[in-house]
Formats: sequence, structure tokens, C-alpha cells
Amino acid sequence: MAEVTYKSASRIYPGSEIPAVNALDLEITDGELLVLVGPSGSGKSTALRMLAGLEFVDEGSILINGKDVTLTPPQDRDIAMVFQNYALYPGMTVAENMGFALKQQKVPKEERRRQVEEAARILDLTEYLDRKPKNLSGGQRQRVAMGRAIVRSPQVFLMDEPLSNLDAKLRVQTRTELADLQARLGVTTVYVTHDQVEAMTMGHRVAVLKDGILQQADRPRTLYSEPKNRFVAGFIGSPAMNLFDIDRVDGQLRLGSMTVPLSASTDAALESTSGTSFGFGVRPEHMTLTTEGGLPGEVIVVEELGSEAFIHVKFEHRGSDETIVVRTDGETAIDRGDFVNVTISGPTHVFAESGERIG
Amino acid sequence: MSGGNTGPVVGARGLGSFLLGIATWIITLLFFFPVFWMVLNGFKEEVDANTDPKLFFDPTLDRFSEVTEDTTGLLSFSEAFANSFWSVLISTIVVMAMAIPAAYALSIRPVEKWRDVLFFFISTKFLPIVAAILPLWIIARDAGLLNTRLVLIILYTAMNLPLAVWMLRSFFNEVPKELIEAASIDGAKISSQIRSVILPIVAPGLAATALLCVIFAWNEFFLAVQLNPVDGTTVPVWVQSNVSSRGNFLAKLSAASTLATLPVVLAGWVAQKRMIRGLAMGAIK
Amino acid sequence: MATTTPTDVIDRSEEIRRIQRKEKWRRRIPLLPALLFTIVVTQIPFLFSLYYSVTEWTIRPARPRTFNGLSNYAELVTNKFFRDALLTSVLMTVSSVLLSLLVGTGLALLLDRKVFGQGFLRTLLITPFLIMPVVASQVWSSQMLSRTFGVVNWLLETVGVDRIEFVSRYPLWSIVLVLVWQWSPFMMLIVLAGLQGQDASVLEAARVDGATSRGIFFQITLPQLRPYLELGLLLGSIYLIQVFDHVEVMTGGRGAANVPYFVYQRSIGGGWSFGQASAFSIVVVVFSIIIATFGLRVLSGLLEGEEAA
Ligand SMILES: Nc1ncnc2c1ncn2[C@@H]1O[C@H](COP(=O)(O)OP(=O)(O)OP(=O)(O)O)[C@@H](O)[C@H]1O
Ligand SMILES: [Mg+2]
Repeated sequence: MAEVTYKSASRIYPGSEIPAVNALDLEITDGELLVLVGPSGSGKSTALRMLAGLEFVDEGSILINGKDVTLTPPQDRDIAMVFQNYALYPGMTVAENMGFALKQQKVPKEERRRQVEEAARILDLTEYLDRKPKNLSGGQRQRVAMGRAIVRSPQVFLMDEPLSNLDAKLRVQTRTELADLQARLGVTTVYVTHDQVEAMTMGHRVAVLKDGILQQADRPRTLYSEPKNRFVAGFIGSPAMNLFDIDRVDGQLRLGSMTVPLSASTDAALESTSGTSFGFGVRPEHMTLTTEGGLPGEVIVVEELGSEAFIHVKFEHRGSDETIVVRTDGETAIDRGDFVNVTISGPTHVFAESGERIG
Repeated sequence: MSGGNTGPVVGARGLGSFLLGIATWIITLLFFFPVFWMVLNGFKEEVDANTDPKLFFDPTLDRFSEVTEDTTGLLSFSEAFANSFWSVLISTIVVMAMAIPAAYALSIRPVEKWRDVLFFFISTKFLPIVAAILPLWIIARDAGLLNTRLVLIILYTAMNLPLAVWMLRSFFNEVPKELIEAASIDGAKISSQIRSVILPIVAPGLAATALLCVIFAWNEFFLAVQLNPVDGTTVPVWVQSNVSSRGNFLAKLSAASTLATLPVVLAGWVAQKRMIRGLAMGAIK
Repeated sequence: MATTTPTDVIDRSEEIRRIQRKEKWRRRIPLLPALLFTIVVTQIPFLFSLYYSVTEWTIRPARPRTFNGLSNYAELVTNKFFRDALLTSVLMTVSSVLLSLLVGTGLALLLDRKVFGQGFLRTLLITPFLIMPVVASQVWSSQMLSRTFGVVNWLLETVGVDRIEFVSRYPLWSIVLVLVWQWSPFMMLIVLAGLQGQDASVLEAARVDGATSRGIFFQITLPQLRPYLELGLLLGSIYLIQVFDHVEVMTGGRGAANVPYFVYQRSIGGGWSFGQASAFSIVVVVFSIIIATFGLRVLSGLLEGEEAA
């Protein structure tokens, strides 16, 4: 199948100074499902459209299977794309929509029908083949859009927020089906979403973008446990990592009244840095509530979700009030107004003032 | 809100709406009356027409046959009809053939100064035809085009082209950008994008536009009478030549008028819904 | 951050510029037939007119064409008939556009409600617009307004009013009547399109909020119709400023010659003084351009907010 390479690829929209995608370097291996994630306006769609040939690449190159396609028009790239609003051709039936690309390739009618029916069977669309898109539900339309992409067996699938128009339940269900389908077909896929949960559950690897700059591209696990910088640390994970600005006092990092525990390697890395201001992060599940020691504070919110609960604890840090979120199991006896002690029981993250990870 | 309160209000509304309905009917019938009267007169004997208005009479088709067989005018009805038919048909086809690509270049893949170009097209509609008729007449005379269908085809095309470009551009704007992108990713060349994706979406708009072109061209009188008064006579000119000899021939004139207006009126009736849809769809956006 | 050292960053700006230049021409090509055709057919005659307008040129009786500078234009200022024609044109255009817009809106509002036989009524109402101006003029002047056989006069007599020869007594307003009769249906179509495009949920929300019908009309419907009314105004002006057929058929120019008709009379309509008529038509063009600028402002209002994609 296909590998995709972005080589320092930039897109600068006319009339804008800042690149929407800035020197993107990214390699996507054959059969991989790579998710591009980032906040709104971070350049995800632009990066995808550059690969599709719908946007110019102002600097750098894009390669598919080692072949430079930077200046190749979309028609000749052998890619398929699923749009956020599906972009189904309104005048054509489901079957015609799905067969359109094959028709452009002058595939004979019989062969075309066979392939469309095969794709329809995979997607459970057989009984809708003769309907027009306007007579389908949102979920069915989404599947037709998928079908239109898979019928072609292209080199690469491109998907720009394909699930964002579905309701929450269907979205969760479809995302597993989609990941499963991709794995079965083994087609290299670039998938854009702004939903980090979707990114983490679907992606073989996840690339985090911010302001057009690639922050980190790694497997979800790595992204979660070793975020390369403070932005990724805060963006990935739900609920988000607790992040604070902290000071180094007498060689120790102090959060409120507590000295934060650090791993040996982090300690060593810290030794070799100067400066007194750092970023400190700890995930809610890496803390426990105790009756003494640790960080004393007052419970201000208890979010009970049944299987687990999130306790928001107010404490004093550098002279002002801060809140830290701690995860406990569902059957907690803690109430709003209780005084508790927060103890760190798992890994912590330290970032330099510039945001880079230290350890 | 108590039930007793809403009752009478609803009742009053019902009555008001009934009266408005009646008013709508009356106004419409008044509006249509001149047309009705014209058609009616066409079925009368001259003695019944050229007198105080008569609603009841012995209807006859004689006037219609007189009109179609009469050759005392410049041309017979069928000759004029053929002239009109071909001028209108060909000019409308040519208009659409030029306006569709032009509208494409002003909306879907726009040239840089599409706004200026669009203004230029519309501004030509503000130039009064009378201001151009003199040189046109002289040019046509020198080129030997006076009294030919060709000159009318050219001028009707010029007359309708700006309107068509303008309307079609609005319709093309309604085509979502993603559809065209999807088609190009699906491997469709521009010609195929237009044929398979764009045209089906704008079809009601195309119909509305073509119909307006037909109406304006079929009904055009000034250019036809100035440039084509003899051999190339079109239906409006032919009707007018019947008026000139009016005297006591009101019934015959009515029959002629009825025949002259019939094709476009029928077309308009059939296409009225599409026309509203077309106008609603894009005339503004 | 994941920045690798850009060893082989390729600057594509030159290539892109080349592609874009090519693309620019590719985009222009579909426009060319329509543009060239329009330029040739509408602008060249205008240049001829400009040239004729500074000559003395009468062809019946035939005299050689001689250059006479701006005297044709000077003549305009003093020509009373021309000024009358100008006034007639303004009155005819403004009144017929506004009245047909008003009547058309009224008809559209009536038809937009649930009425028995709605489609049938709409069919009847659009008919006047479809009828050729020559026929419409003829029907009104000889069958409706005529003193001898006209239905209107007959009605007047039955209620005891003296018969009036409307067209010769009030030539201008008779023409305006027919224009309004023909153009109201067109305005109605446009307004109906606008009413159809209305967001029903907004109307319902307003009704739930207790707005009166009148309040809904003025505060919600009318603002939403505005672009449609502007479109009607624009198209109406374009076509109604050019009125010729009605003047010719109904009055033969007597008492209601507008500028188009006047230019016609002076030239191929019998005057045959082409130099003079050309000067008139140039003035018409200038006036039209003034009106057009106003029209185009409406138009740019219509195009407002539309970005070059
Ligand atoms: N056609 C365009 N012209 C100019 N600027 C654009 C254009 N398209 C996008 N941009 C800008 O480029 C940046 C990146 O846009 P992009 O659509 O790639 O973001 P995104 O990450 O997909 O955001 P979202 O999650 O909202 O879809 C934004 O700042 C946007 O304003
Ligand atoms: Mg996007």
C-alpha cells in the first residue's frame, strides 16, 4: 500500500503572514492510522488538504510511497477523502455516489456494480443503494461517505472530522467500527479530529498540532505518559492533567506546602538545569487522598460518575488559591467542605519554563 | 390565557382569513380579466366584438383561421412564428452556452476580478438599446444582415446574456465547495465535475434562467421592428402589423394576440414553480 | 518541540507562481466567449454613436456627414422636446417600478397565505408578465380603456360617469397602468421566492413570544424580504427604463414620448438626423450610467459579504 511523508511542508495562506501549517515533518507508515489532533485553527484540516492536493504546499514536499506528489493535482493522487459534512452528491443515488470514482477511472459497469455491492455489504448499506442521500439518516450518510472512500481501494484515506456530525452515542460506536474497518483493509489513513478522546482511542499514532506546528507524534500511551511539552500534557487526557507553575526552593520543587516527589532521572535532569521557575503536572489518577501528610486542602466539588469520582481540592500555592483534581473510586465518603490531604502516588511531570519536558 | 378568551379570537381570525381569501380571488380575477377578455374576443364575430362588451355570444373559430391564413400583412402567421421560434431558440441556446462557463468562472473557480466583470455585464443592461440601435442598424445594413434571423439571434443573445450570467452565477454559488473538492479527489476532470455534480444541482436555476431569456426574446419588439421589418418579421411585429390595420377588426386582432402570446404563456405556466424556486435559490446570494 | 533541522527545505514559491499563472489563464478561458461577445456587441456600437454624435449627418434627405463639434449637444440643452422626454422617462420609470413593487408585494402576501386554489390563482396572476408588451398595450388601449369599445368605459357609463378617452387624455398614466399590470406579477414572483425562503421557526418563535401579525410583518418578514425587494427594484429599473413598445403601440409617442422613444423619433423613426440622435443617445447613456451607479450600489449591497473564494 502506501507510506506518506511530509517533508518540512508549510502552507501560508495568501494574505496571511503566519503559516497555517509550519514546516511539518511527519512520516506515516504503510497501513497506519495516524490521527491529527489539536485545538481549533491549529492547521489540522490544512495539513490534510495539503496531502489531498486541495491546498498548495508553499515550502517543502509531500511524498506518497516515496513519490513526490507536491505538485500533483488531487485527481492523480489516488487518495480518498471523507468530509466532515460528507459532501455526498445530492442528485445521485447511494450506489452512484459510491461508484462515482470508479466511473471516472472508466471501470466497466459490471465490475463497478460488483465493487459497490461489496462495499455496501461491508457497511451494511445494501438496502439503501437506490436511495438519494437526502433520504438517509445522519449515520447512514456517514457510512455512504465511508463507502465512497473504500470502494476505490485508494493508497490513502483522508478523513476530516468524519464523526463530528453524529450524536454522542453513535459517534462512540462508529469510531470503533471505523478503526476496525481500517485495520481490516489495512489502508494508510490520516484522520483529523479535535476530540482527543477520539484521537487516543483510534490512532495507532497521534500527532498533536498547535498553531501549525507539530508538537509531538507518538503512540497514544507515550503521548499520555511522556508528553513532550506542557501543551501536549494539558491537551491529552480527560480530565486534564493538573498543571501548576512552581518554584525551586533550596533545590526542591514546592507545591503549596508540599515538596513534590520526583523520580531519580527527573532529579538528575533538574540538577543540570538552571532557573527557578518550572511547570509541574500530575494526572488525577496519580494521587490519593489521605488524612495526613501531603498537601492539605478543602474539598470544593465532588463529581461522582459512579465507577469513579473526581474530587476538586482547593489549596494555597504561592499565596493564592489553586484547585487540584484527584481521582478516587466511586464509593467515596468525601463531601464538599471536608478537609483532606492530597498525596502523590504516581508519576509526575516537570517542564522547563519554555514548556519543554524535563522529566 | 383562558379558553373563553382564545375562542372568539380564533373565530375572528377564521372569518378574517375567509374574507381575505375572497379578496384574493376577486383581485386575481380582476388582474386576469384583460387576458380573459382578449381570448374571449378572439372567439367572437367582429360585430360582437366591436360593440359594447358582450359576455355571451356564439363562439366561432373563424377569426383564428382568418388570422393564420391571412397573408395581407407582411408575412403569414406561420412564417412569423417560425422566425420567432428559431431566433428565440437559437439565441437562448447560445446564451446558455456562453453564460454557463462564464458563471462558472465568476463563482466556482473565480477569476481575480470577478466582481468587476460581473458589474460590467450588468452595466451593459443599463445602456439603452435605443442608444445602440443607430449604429447597429448601420452596421447590420452594411453587413447585409438587415431582415435576417441572424441579426436578431445576435442581438437577443447580447440582450439576455448579462441577465443569464448574473442569475447563473448566483445558482453556482449554491454549490457547496466540498462537493467539487470531493469530485476532484474522486478523479473527476473539470468537464465531468460540471456535468455530473454542478449541473444537476443548479438545474432548477438553469430552467428559470432559460425561461426568462425565452420570455424576453419572444416578446421583444423594438429590435425586431427596426432591424427586421420585412422578411424576418417576428410574432410581435406581426401582431403589431395587424393593429395598424385595426379599424373594426378587434376580434381578429384578439385572435392574433392570443396565438402570439400562447407559447410563452404556456411555458411560463408550466415552469412557474421552478421559476420561484430558482429565484429563491440563488437570485440573491 | 518536534522540529528537525530543515536540511532540504524546498522553497516552492517559484513553482507555485508558475502554476498559479497558468491557473489564472485557465480560469479566464470560460469567461472569454461571453465577455468578448458582450464587448463587441454592446461597446462597439456605443463607440460609433460617440463618433456620430459630433457630426452633422442627415440621411433623408441625404447629406454628407460633416464634423460639427459639440453643437449637437448644445442643441440638447435648449431642446424643449428632449427635456419633456427626460421628465417623462423619469416619471414613467420611477412610478411604474415603485407601484409594481408595491402591488407585487401585496399580491405575494395574499398568495402566501393558505387560500383555496392557490396554485390556480398564482397561474392567473403571473400571466400578464408573460404576455408580450405589444399585445398587452393593444389589449388595454383598444379593449379596456378605449372610449368606444373599452370595458372600463362601459363600466363607467353604467355607473353614470361620462366616457373618457383615457389614452389620449392621460397618455403617460395609461402606459404606467399597463406597465404596472405587467411587472407586478414579476415582482410578486420575486417576493414569493423571498417569502418561501423565510425561516419558519423564526416566525413561530415570534408568534410564541406574542408578537402581533403586524409586528411580525414589519420586524421580521420585511427585513428578510429586503434583498428580494432590492432585486426587484434593480431588475425592474433595468427593464422599465427601456420601455419602448408600450409607448409606440398605445400612443405612437403622442404625449408620452420617453427618451428611448424620442431618440427613435429623431432617427430611424422618421427624423433621420443621425448625428443629433446620436448625441441624444449619448446623453441617455450618461443618464443611465448615473442611474446604473445607483443600481450597482444596490447590487454591491446584494453581493456584500461575499468573499472571493
Ligand atoms: N482558505 C483560507 N484562507 C486563509 N486562511 C485560512 C484558510 N483556511 C484556513 N485558514 C486559517 O488557517 C488556520 C488553520 O486552519 P485549519 O482549518 O487548518 O484549522 P483546523 O485545525 O482544521 O481547525 P478546526 O478544528 O476548527 O477545523 C486558521 O487560522 C485558519 O483561520
Ligand atoms: Mg478543520
